Amino acid sequence: MAGEKNYYTVDPMGKLRCFKCGVPLEKGKAKFMYLDNGFPVELPVCPVCGFVYVPEELALGKVASVERALEDK
Amino acid sequence: MAQIQERGSTHVYKVNKISKEEMDSMVARCVYEQPPFCNAACPLKLDTRAFLKAAADGDFKKALGLYEKIAPFPLVLAAGCEAPCEGKCRLGEIGDAVAIRAVEAAVARYGEAARGGSVFRMKKRKTVAILGSGLFPLLLAGELEKKAYPLTVFCEQADLDSFLRCAAGFLDEDAFALERKRLRGKDIQFEFSCSIDRAFLDEKRASFDVLCISETVRSRLFPDSPVIPELMLCEKEQFICGGEEGVMNTAFGAKKAALTVDRLAQKLDPRNTRGQEGACESELYTDLSEAKELRRAAIPDGGYTPAQAAEEAKRCIQCRCEECMKSCAYLQHYKKYPGLLSREIYNNTQIIMGDHQLNKPMNACSLCGQCSVVCPRGFDMAQVCHIARRNMVSTDKMPLAPHEFALMDMLFSNNEAFLARPQPGYETCRYVFFPGCQASAIAPDTVRAAYEDLCARLDGGVALLLGCCGAICDWAGRYELEDQTREFIDRELARLGDPIVIAGCPTCKKELSTHDGLEIKGIWDVLLELGLPEGARGLARPAALHDSCGARGDEETQKAIRTLAAQLGCTLIDTPYSGDRSPCCGYGGLAAYANREVAAEMTEKCLERSDAPYISYCMACRDRFARQGRESRHLLELCYGTDAGAPPDISEKRRNRLTLKNELLHELWHEETAEMKLDFELNYTVDARRMMDDRMILTDDVIAVLQDFRASGEAVLDAEDGLLVARRRVGNATFWVKFSREGEDSFTVHRAWSHRMRVEKREG
Ligand code: SF4
Ligand code: SF4
Ligand code: SF4
Ligand SMILES: [Zn+2]
Repeated sequence: MAGEKNYYTVDPMGKLRCFKCGVPLEKGKAKFMYLDNGFPVELPVCPVCGFVYVPEELALGKVASVERALEDK
Repeated sequence: MAQIQERGSTHVYKVNKISKEEMDSMVARCVYEQPPFCNAACPLKLDTRAFLKAAADGDFKKALGLYEKIAPFPLVLAAGCEAPCEGKCRLGEIGDAVAIRAVEAAVARYGEAARGGSVFRMKKRKTVAILGSGLFPLLLAGELEKKAYPLTVFCEQADLDSFLRCAAGFLDEDAFALERKRLRGKDIQFEFSCSIDRAFLDEKRASFDVLCISETVRSRLFPDSPVIPELMLCEKEQFICGGEEGVMNTAFGAKKAALTVDRLAQKLDPRNTRGQEGACESELYTDLSEAKELRRAAIPDGGYTPAQAAEEAKRCIQCRCEECMKSCAYLQHYKKYPGLLSREIYNNTQIIMGDHQLNKPMNACSLCGQCSVVCPRGFDMAQVCHIARRNMVSTDKMPLAPHEFALMDMLFSNNEAFLARPQPGYETCRYVFFPGCQASAIAPDTVRAAYEDLCARLDGGVALLLGCCGAICDWAGRYELEDQTREFIDRELARLGDPIVIAGCPTCKKELSTHDGLEIKGIWDVLLELGLPEGARGLARPAALHDSCGARGDEETQKAIRTLAAQLGCTLIDTPYSGDRSPCCGYGGLAAYANREVAAEMTEKCLERSDAPYISYCMACRDRFARQGRESRHLLELCYGTDAGAPPDISEKRRNRLTLKNELLHELWHEETAEMKLDFELNYTVDARRMMDDRMILTDDVIAVLQDFRASGEAVLDAEDGLLVARRRVGNATFWVKFSREGEDSFTVHRAWSHRMRVEKREG
């Protein structure tokens, strides 16, 4: 999926570590899905186990507003 | 626990619960858009209300602008109009009608005319000739000039002064001078000293597109060709014609004639698409109690001065029906009258693809029905919003998110926290106490005291049923769930021997009264029969009684509550909007879940009626008033000497229900319930608790996340604050918990958040 648009990017900036794997999270490819819609994004992801992190500001901000918009479709 | 399925976004359109015709007839009940009475009576359709408002504000320029829309020569009309508007002014019923014509005269004289405009206007292509003189030709010329027809007046008079004097000789010198100036400023060609005979007329007929003549000319040249008064048209000869029948009627004639000119110029049938012309009736409602000054100031010989005119215009009460909006915080919030809002909400339910922008308003109404009582026409917005919700559910367009928490709470009430038992020692019972889900959640001690009292003082056994009546799914428009709940409750009641239901909550009473063959009373009725229990005592201070919207239309309940309050020794303060007119606390219709902001405004609206403590007879009202910081008590708390104290948060509300059930099972029925024990210690910061309540995150959700973490060890370490963050998908949402570890088995929650979208890693 080269050249695919990312709707949102969060860079961990070295401040987040995977507790289980003991490695820093990296900016990685992830996907939000809701009501039959999918959005490619870049989020902090653990390079070992694949844990995807959704920070509080993102959840309450962008994610919440996209949810509202899709619910009212 | 049961789970509610999230809808998808691509769905087949199913069934509609209301037709467009039904909605139209509902919408038509609202008279908001009807014209004020003065305006309806005016054949020229002056926007009297806006005109008087502008005059009252001293904005004579704006007022004159409005007046010029109906009067190309304002001083002419103001001098001679019969003013039927004044005859219909509502103030005339209780005092003097507003002196509309005198205000018009002052505005016409002192108002500054709007300048410019005509210079850059695009002229129409079709040309018009007017033959003759008098008031009709003058006013018609004014109307047609407004419409930008290239226009020539052919008259016998030798100059403009004589033409104007012939038309409006009744004007005084000042007015005459002003209107002469106005006439000169208009884009009208004149040919003077014409001798108008048949040949002259035929020549003009040939060279102009539309021909208009005065009645004098017609009676001289075509005495046998009649004119159709509605069109001001002589069909046979195809000319437009009008005479002098008083200033107002002549002005009306000129208006009709100008419309006929339009039709003829476009080669259309002049009979069609004329709209409503002339005076009409209005069904508008006006609250006359708003009137302040009933007497009009005498009109001096030279007419009102600008200041006097503005004073008189201020007497106008600006007739408008706003009964529903005065009392409903929801309508105030959306600033739309119900007729319009209903139409928009109905259209919202008809959208198949695209944004449903009215979802939020549709779900924010508390379905309380107050409007249906305060509206002089009985408009019931609750019905509109309720049907709309069911419509959205039936077509699978209703989002789950606004109501999911409440629906899950109801499922919790009717599963984990559900209890239906006959009184110990009985197989079946004569009565069953049904306190309602909110009572067990907010005031479990009161429920327990009431149940013990009823068992002790009633014969025949009193069963207990702890659960939700189904109002929640009814409000959410989830009619299938409502049917299931109804069957479920009926089954449980049958098991208890179909007892008489003693409802603790007026909304439960209302909801359950829709079940077939149920006998149902309020606990307030029973307490009146039995007498107050020992130790019952009212509030020492005078209090405001808030009527529950569940008791609207239930006069007996409202009366019983007042009697009970009196027996308790309460001094009740009279508040506006009580009884059937009572507003909703904001819980009704799930408003508090779907739109917190509007619900808070509803609570405010309830509380603004009095500064006193509030007594209510619905636990949800008690809870919302207490949350707002008001001293708030449920009538049953006073009856049983209990005090539920500070309002519980959403998790405590669940725990209260569960604990009440388990304790009663243990104490009364000697059944043990295995209480789920946590195998770790869990604490919350104050912030975390507040945040969770605000974000609708339950302690159960947090526990689920931490249990998951303990099993998998999956979490993120945030270097900024040294805290761990774990997550888990529960139902339709993902919950995130930020916590510290005080040891292997001890946690403190600092923050929590959630989202409904799923998230996963993407390959590539
Ligand atoms: S009270 Fe409200 S709903 Fe009723 S007619 Fe007036 S504006 Fe319409
Ligand atoms: S009070 Fe004002 S708006 Fe109402 S009828 Fe009289 S002039 Fe018209
Ligand atoms: S909140 Fe109550 S009064 Fe307001 S529109 Fe809805 S049902 Fe009517
Ligand atoms: Zn990892």
